[in-house]
Amino acid sequence: MRKSVLFLAMLCLCVVSGAWAEETIKVGYLAGITGDFAAYGQPEVNAVKLAAEEINAKGGVLGKKLEIVIYDYKSRPEDAVNAVRRLIDHDKVVAILGSASSGANIATAPLVNRAGIPQIGTLSTNPLVTVDEKGKVRPFMFRICFIDPYQGRLIGYFAAKELKKKKAAILYDVGSDYSQGLREYFTKSFTEYGGTIVADYGFRGGQDMDFRAQLTQIKATDAEILVLPNIGKDLALPIKQASELGMKDIIYVGGDGYGEFMVEIAGKALDGSYWMYHLARQDPAMKPFFDSYKAKYNDDCQEFAIAVLAYDSLYWLADSITRAGTAEPKAIRDALEATKELKLHHATLTMDPKTHNPLDKDAVVLTVQDGKSVFFKKIRPQ
Amino acid sequence: MKEVSHGLETFLQQVINGLSLGSVYALIAVGYSLVYSVLLFSNFAHGGFLVVGGYACYAALKVLGANIWVASAMSLVGAGIVAVVTERLAYKPIRERTNVTLYLLIASMGMSIVIENLFVIFVGGRFRALPPVIPTSPVSLFGLATTSAFDLLSLVASVVFLGALQIFLLRTKWGLAIRAAAYDLRTAGLMGVNVNLLVSIVFFVAGALAAVGGIFLSVRYTLYPQLGGITIKAFVAAVIGGLGSLPGAVVGSIILGLAEMLTAGFISSQLRDLVVFSLLVVTLLVKPSGLFGKNVSEKV
Repeated sequence: MRKSVLFLAMLCLCVVSGAWAEETIKVGYLAGITGDFAAYGQPEVNAVKLAAEEINAKGGVLGKKLEIVIYDYKSRPEDAVNAVRRLIDHDKVVAILGSASSGANIATAPLVNRAGIPQIGTLSTNPLVTVDEKGKVRPFMFRICFIDPYQGRLIGYFAAKELKKKKAAILYDVGSDYSQGLREYFTKSFTEYGGTIVADYGFRGGQDMDFRAQLTQIKATDAEILVLPNIGKDLALPIKQASELGMKDIIYVGGDGYGEFMVEIAGKALDGSYWMYHLARQDPAMKPFFDSYKAKYNDDCQEFAIAVLAYDSLYWLADSITRAGTAEPKAIRDALEATKELKLHHATLTMDPKTHNPLDKDAVVLTVQDGKSVFFKKIRPQ
Repeated sequence: MKEVSHGLETFLQQVINGLSLGSVYALIAVGYSLVYSVLLFSNFAHGGFLVVGGYACYAALKVLGANIWVASAMSLVGAGIVAVVTERLAYKPIRERTNVTLYLLIASMGMSIVIENLFVIFVGGRFRALPPVIPTSPVSLFGLATTSAFDLLSLVASVVFLGALQIFLLRTKWGLAIRAAAYDLRTAGLMGVNVNLLVSIVFFVAGALAAVGGIFLSVRYTLYPQLGGITIKAFVAAVIGGLGSLPGAVVGSIILGLAEMLTAGFISSQLRDLVVFSLLVVTLLVKPSGLFGKNVSEKV
């Protein structure tokens, strides 16, 4: 008896999912709801759902509604691979959005290329996400954000030319592609501008939570700035601990790993730090997004960069499907690659077909005042 | 000369860092050792009790608006009760059926995953910071080194709680019973000790100590469901000191804290875990029972 009930339930499920597949265009989304990037996970899920709702309310794409299939990749590459397999084989999605992690997207790149399903990384800034080691573009991998070399160069340029500092210390995560990439390109550009790296220490992200040993060594040098090419908690904790060690004159500079929730952890110590960023909350073009987000979720969307990039990724994809005139993955890929001067909410997007990176994206420098990030200036390194 | 004094200052600073890290390890390691001394298994759900303590304190502060003393008391009691309930649900049925402690070990690993995931699902995975109830401002020690006021407090709290535990074990009737049980649980039972009540008390005390560690850890490193993962270091400290020995757990923790900080500061920050786990391997090779451990044939 119980067996037959189970069978019936499974049959119903199949029928339901089969019926859905005909009416909607299925898009996968890789979200880091748990694990190291958990603080960023909920906003991206909320934002992509919001975008889908808005697009569907206006009649969807090619007369069909978008259906978002969300999987938690637990901020781990191995789980991202499993999720992508499932999205392709089981859910039969036409494209995949996310993840925010370079490590995860580098791991899933061979899979989507083999299956011929386009994937758009939201915050995955490592060059190897869209281009392989030999410099050849990965045909089905795209990204909406700028890349680490550009970000590392931004930090180097900003520290040397805008802040006019000569001596830098670095505290980076040895286990992270992102952190290593930023460090490498920062070092290169900072020394080219005439700066010196006086201290360069590593830690193990996700495991080390005590940075006082490295900070004590850095304190003993004459470093003027401390470059933190890390993400979230691994940014906030060193800053908190540095202030507890009495390091009050050093200036903290970092990349897009900055998140507003860090203020809750590091408090006042964050004031006066600088972060190279994708967009600013104060941008008037973003106001409708923040208003609808607030109205729908009753939340201020603290982690707005990842949310906005997830949101605009779906708009980009919807535009590409419309231009392709079909929801066939290969046609979508061609349309994504041919994107030119597409006005999204946070920026105007043009794809470089040779690298699948956005061309000439302006970066924003944020600084923290009284626990809130504010727009400092827009930069493009020369 | 200036170079030398500068070097000395940095060295002193690293020693203080090491002591303060070690003192928090000690609070957790003692809980491990206490359970081990009675039931002869390593309770890997201990990290879970720590997380419960941290969240209980957070909830009391944020939701109930309690002050830090009330919140800490609620946190200690809460984690203690969770520890007792965990024992009743997951370990007691096994304990009553078999003598093989390996099953208890496996059950504890399961419980640790269960507790972590309950928090992920019902509380959420994001990082939370306790309101600034414990001062973390920098304090200068005779102009030689700078430490956070918080480090001194955690050191003091560790000493107070470990002292209180020692008094409980040496001066009270139940302390005597626990010490007897640490020698031989069966015989203690035959002598009229209520074994189930005794085990519950041991878990309550271990849970409460974990909560103290949890409060300090969540102030220092923020609160999130995986915070309990840090207990792996405390476990290593307990093994180095000798599982089942409370002074051993404290000494092992201090050694580990110092080793970590001095390695990271003067050799390489990437080698710190390598050194920690090498210490563990060397201990197991040279003196498997740890620095202060009693000789037991089976160590799980």
